[in-house]
Amino acid sequence: MGEAVVVNVALMLRVLLVGGIFLILPHITRKGLLFGVYVGEALADRATVRRLVGDWHLGCVILMVLSLLIGFGISLAGRPLAGNLTGTATLLLGGLGLYLRFHSRARGLALPVTEEQGKKATAPLVGGEPKGAGLAKLALGLCLLTSLAAFVYAMVSYEGLWSDRSLIRFMFVPSLNLVLSPFFALLALLTANAKRSVRSGSGGRSVEAQDAFRATNANLLSWFALLNCAFMTILSMEIVRIRLSGTSSLGGGFWLMVGVMAGIVVVFALFNLIRILKRYGQGGALIERGSVDAPLTDGLADNVHWVWGLFYVDRDDPSIMVEKRFGFGYTFNYGNRTAILIVATFLVLILSLIALGLFGTLGGSGQP
Amino acid sequence: MLTLTIDRSLDDPVYEQVADQVRRLVVSGGLGPGTALPSVRQLAGDLGVNLNTIARAYRLLESEGFLVIRDRAGVAVSAPAKEIEHSARARLLEQMRVTLARLRQAGMAHEELLSVMQREVLALHGGKENHDG
Repeated sequence: MGEAVVVNVALMLRVLLVGGIFLILPHITRKGLLFGVYVGEALADRATVRRLVGDWHLGCVILMVLSLLIGFGISLAGRPLAGNLTGTATLLLGGLGLYLRFHSRARGLALPVTEEQGKKATAPLVGGEPKGAGLAKLALGLCLLTSLAAFVYAMVSYEGLWSDRSLIRFMFVPSLNLVLSPFFALLALLTANAKRSVRSGSGGRSVEAQDAFRATNANLLSWFALLNCAFMTILSMEIVRIRLSGTSSLGGGFWLMVGVMAGIVVVFALFNLIRILKRYGQGGALIERGSVDAPLTDGLADNVHWVWGLFYVDRDDPSIMVEKRFGFGYTFNYGNRTAILIVATFLVLILSLIALGLFGTLGGSGQP
Repeated sequence: MLTLTIDRSLDDPVYEQVADQVRRLVVSGGLGPGTALPSVRQLAGDLGVNLNTIARAYRLLESEGFLVIRDRAGVAVSAPAKEIEHSARARLLEQMRVTLARLRQAGMAHEELLSVMQREVLALHGGKENHDG
């Protein structure tokens, strides 16, 4: 009974958090963008758009209630964990379906002038290293060195590493650290160098907003990578210590440590996410006030190269990361070979590790 | 903050649009000698154009004496030459003669041609004054 309550409360919190983010997304995007479509700045204040956003709010609330009802219903039938997962899946898949419906409606609203605007591009003529790139490089170096050192330490600490399932038992966390931490730092570096989508004729205000938002995002990712690396390195060491002491289970103290560290990482990420959203808005939307009626150019204004308003695919654009049209932060340019290579490498490594951790039996008897 | 805008719907090639705007900014004093310009990758990314397009524009501007390209230090605006080379002067004057002839052939009256020339020279002079001042 106690477990069911915890699982249901977790579902409720998740639905409130994710649903709440869904609700505010149309309000934090750059002016002229609507559900992943560039409709033009002139349309942004009109009644049709306000009505569409109102419908989105209603849809989100209905989806949240539906997710909770389904989740709680299954939980009441005696399957709390299944209820939690089904409720979450309903929210996420329903959210995607709802977004695609509204994206399709927004496409019908795009003004003809937006097509011409997509062919224009504005860039600042300022040289030098982008803000946030220095910290990102430092984070990348530190994460690579630290996670590699923890990996090697775990490898050499145990003689029977290649027998039974000891490889998985010892090396899962150090391997995860070696993949995740440098990847977050690399994301920070790519974000610091991401494409800027500037409003033409905005007198530089739009560029300043873009630079400030980009640097803040890059810094957040750098600190996140460092925090993640520090915690996972500590956990790697702790696993080695426990295993070498001959204890078969990791014990409550270890899992408490994991819980506290995960909590700190989640709170750090959420707190900073909310801080950036409140201060800057997506892409610096809140601090480019005064220039918001100047038209967006290139990347964001270009309706041709966005698939569902979510995936940017432009083979001629050398940018690896671009600002999202709907959502928060930056996304990859899936027309760029380097971007595809980075995403594919990360997915292969992380999925292999998870599969190995869940199902792997490397040699020996396969006993845990 | 200085910005550069390109329009892919125009007939002019993008590298020429880029070179033309940088050239104007250098001549008007908006971009002073030694000012660092974005790297090829950064500018190409911001404009969403091929790296070769920006590299071509920068090379053209370098050959015309507007930019200095150094591998490590990046791209910067070059200082105006103290004295014009004899061969460069002859080449540029020849280009001007051809342009004037083409404008005359396109139907521009003698007075209008003079007035345009005067305006352009004054604009250059004004730009220099603003830069120095």
